[in-house]
Amino acid sequence: MGRRVKVTIDGKVFSAEEGESLLAVALRNGIDIPHLCYEECLEPYGSCRLCIVEVVEGFKKGITTSCTLGCVDGLKVLTNTPEIEKHRKVLFELYLAQAPNSEKLKKLAEKFGVYSTRFKEKNLKNDPLNGKCVMCGLCVRVCNDVLGVGAINFIGRGYRATVNVPYFEESDVCKGCKACVEVCPVDAIDYSDVGDKRVMISWSNTKVDLIKCSVCGRYFSPLPVFGSVSKKLSEYGVVCDVCPDCRKRLIAKNMTSSGGYNSYA
Amino acid sequence: MRVFTDSRIEKAERELLAADKPRISVGLATCGISVGGDRVFEEFKRLIEEKGYDVSLKKTGCIGFCKEEPLVNVKLPGKAILVLHRVTPEDVPEILQKVESGDDSFNKVLFQIDVWDHKTVPPISYGQPYEGIKRWQEIDFFKYQEKLVLRNAGIIDPESIEEYLAVGGYRALAKALNMSPEEVIEEVKISGLRGRGGAGFPTGLKWEFTRKEKSDKKYVICNADEGDPGAYMNRNEMESDPHSLIEGMIIGAYAVGADEGIIYVRAEYPLAVERLQRAVEEAREWGFLGKNILGSDFSFDIKIVKGAGAFVCGEETALIASIEGRIGRPRPRPPFPAQRGLWGKPTNINNVETWMNIPLIILKGGEWFKQFGSESNSGTKVFSLVGKVNNVGLVEVELGTPLSRIVFDIGKGAPGGKKIKAVQTGGPSGGCIPEWLFDTPVDYVNLAKLGSIMGSGGIVVMDEDTCMVDTARYFLDFTVDESCGKCVPCREGLKRMLDILDDITKGRGKKEDISLLKELASTVKVTSLCGLGQTAPNPVITTLKYFEDEYIEHVVRKRCPAKVCVELIEYEIDEEACTGCGMCARRCPVSAITGEIGKSFSIDKDKCIKCGTCLDVCKFNAVKKVSRGLEDG
Ligand SMILES: Cc1cc2nc3c(=O)[nH]c(=O)nc-3n(C[C@H](O)[C@H](O)[C@H](O)COP(=O)(O)O)c2cc1C
Ligand code: FES
Repeated sequence: MGRRVKVTIDGKVFSAEEGESLLAVALRNGIDIPHLCYEECLEPYGSCRLCIVEVVEGFKKGITTSCTLGCVDGLKVLTNTPEIEKHRKVLFELYLAQAPNSEKLKKLAEKFGVYSTRFKEKNLKNDPLNGKCVMCGLCVRVCNDVLGVGAINFIGRGYRATVNVPYFEESDVCKGCKACVEVCPVDAIDYSDVGDKRVMISWSNTKVDLIKCSVCGRYFSPLPVFGSVSKKLSEYGVVCDVCPDCRKRLIAKNMTSSGGYNSYA
Repeated sequence: MRVFTDSRIEKAERELLAADKPRISVGLATCGISVGGDRVFEEFKRLIEEKGYDVSLKKTGCIGFCKEEPLVNVKLPGKAILVLHRVTPEDVPEILQKVESGDDSFNKVLFQIDVWDHKTVPPISYGQPYEGIKRWQEIDFFKYQEKLVLRNAGIIDPESIEEYLAVGGYRALAKALNMSPEEVIEEVKISGLRGRGGAGFPTGLKWEFTRKEKSDKKYVICNADEGDPGAYMNRNEMESDPHSLIEGMIIGAYAVGADEGIIYVRAEYPLAVERLQRAVEEAREWGFLGKNILGSDFSFDIKIVKGAGAFVCGEETALIASIEGRIGRPRPRPPFPAQRGLWGKPTNINNVETWMNIPLIILKGGEWFKQFGSESNSGTKVFSLVGKVNNVGLVEVELGTPLSRIVFDIGKGAPGGKKIKAVQTGGPSGGCIPEWLFDTPVDYVNLAKLGSIMGSGGIVVMDEDTCMVDTARYFLDFTVDESCGKCVPCREGLKRMLDILDDITKGRGKKEDISLLKELASTVKVTSLCGLGQTAPNPVITTLKYFEDEYIEHVVRKRCPAKVCVELIEYEIDEEACTGCGMCARRCPVSAITGEIGKSFSIDKDKCIKCGTCLDVCKFNAVKKVSRGLEDG
């Protein structure tokens, strides 16, 4: 653990680890700062710009993003000045025009007092993400930086930029793990499990085989994910071709019958 | 040190001074080549070989007077350099004959250079001046210039390290290696040099940050991505004097403790890449690069990397990502490259021109350097002067020189005696400065006060026929395309601004658009992640500040006062002036003009596509462009 420092947010003093993201400190202490691109397990990225705060005492005074703002002793910020509210409103309006179909985004905007946009809706013809994506990049970063899979990335530049699999062709790299779906702050990524296949609808209908539970027969995990996990676990003699529900049942059964753990742990 | 007394250098020096035989050098930077300099060079080469003339033929860079190119320097033994302009291959035989017979009555002489101060050696007397020919410093274009960065451009052969050495090259490196790295940094700090890549950050301070980082590996990078449309000073600097850049980088590497350097050049600059490549190899051969440079225990080498072709890759963190093979997107700073740069190692990144100032500062001292320029803006800056101006070219002036000097005294105003309306400085994301503020000294501080930036040094001159709304739209169109798309204000905000400007220039603007534009511009500026978004609204903000009346005309009266915005203008034929020649009708691509030969013609406004052909072809000024707008129309 790094050195403890004191930071002041909206007049209240909090203890933080030196260098940690100010946004993390704020969120931990119940101060609500809107954010779309921040995720604890990833390096701060600073793309959504919603988390802006005003530094009144610190390395560089003025408006900056709190997710990329490292805590130093004596740092003082304000999260709700009229200036910040003004810019944040415009940013929300830009988002509403960019991703008009995202209910989650609408809710977030409403929470911060923005109900409509003065800007023209983006042309969403052929948008594989159905006018929901806010380009926060969380899915790309999880897929590349955390999982090391690299199935999706940004395509194109500027307002034409989008996220998808290369050439919008079904990916043979995607493992169907759905981490992208989980991490997406606006529910923009669609998938569907159909029979023995998982279809990543948003990723140009990339299809991944699912594996069947050896007990109940339900399809439960994408094969590529299962493959790497089961290989590791089989080294410890753990059987894995059982869905989580069945496994729980099996463990319970075994515990009552033999009074201890067995290989289904 | 022995290398500086090599016989090869003496030979180069003799050739430069044309002690034994005449020397002809052709200006062969890209600007010269594009108007036929290469053909002139080939013709010289062919004839010299064919006729067996005893003349040394050389390439040289660009002296900055791009408008007059191709330029050819002719130097007879013992005499001053004559600079001939607009030379064509057809001129070559006569020039050669005269050179051969010692006849100095050349045509097309623009000026002469008898003495030139390369700064790294005492001023060199190139020979006896001619009578009745203007010296270079008597020409208005050069009179107000101060050539520090371009000290060798257009004089020496950029493909010859010997010539660079003959004018004092690599002496600064030798001097630096006898100083401690801290002393080198101190000298740069004293000089007050600021980064020439745009933001103007103090160079010495930046070096000190990198020096102080503890790491087993450090890098220096030269930013030669120069993506601003209309800006070509870095290209010219590299093509004309690559060794100054390399020498600067070696000194910088020594100061910050780096052993590897990278020059990141736009792929669109093949000639610069070629000359740099050659210069790096030469420098290696001579022992200025590689292991144990000049016998010291300092080792350093340079690699050249070609850019990925995006404007945003000029931003330092995107540039580093691009070298590493990642997508060229900026990331938040801190950490700064000095802390975490290329491959995660401390990296010092500077612009081409910044590096080229270094040898001078080390050799002559920071105090000496400070005599140029203004308070806290020392030295010079090379500007590319383009647009509606008579003398298009590269001009190097002291920082703090008023805009009027650059535009009127050096640039000689607008062609056709038109009135100049404004200039735009700093590339596509610089602001527009109106003519009534031209006494402003050009430096980092004063440009910022006016809402513009120094950027890389582009100056685009605009005359009375320029529509400021259209100008703002034009620059935004560029930045919208070049936005990387990472952060929302730049990605979406700029596009919405462009949409609004499109509406206004097409006559669909509403009154509230102007305030919305202002609001949006401010948010994009304040909240964008990198310099691109933070500066891209400048053209809009400044035109709104200085030329709001033009916006109002477009929005309220649907009029374009400069008669540029196609949707808001009409073409008409003045019956009085029309002679009925019928030329316009014949040339109109959509047959919108009818009439009787010998009488007069008129334009059918419903058919007219406003291409302007009729206006161009009418010899009697009978065709008029009008923007009447609502009240009169
Ligand atoms: C969009 C953008 C484009 C840039 N392009 C260039 C460029 O072409 N050349 C350059 O030297 N600096 C460019 N910069 C500035 C660099 O980020 C950086 O500040 C500079 O290379 C530092 O060198 P200096 O201190 O010598 O100026 C650009 C910055 C931004 C935001
Ligand atoms: S959370 Fe800080 S910019 Fe997105």
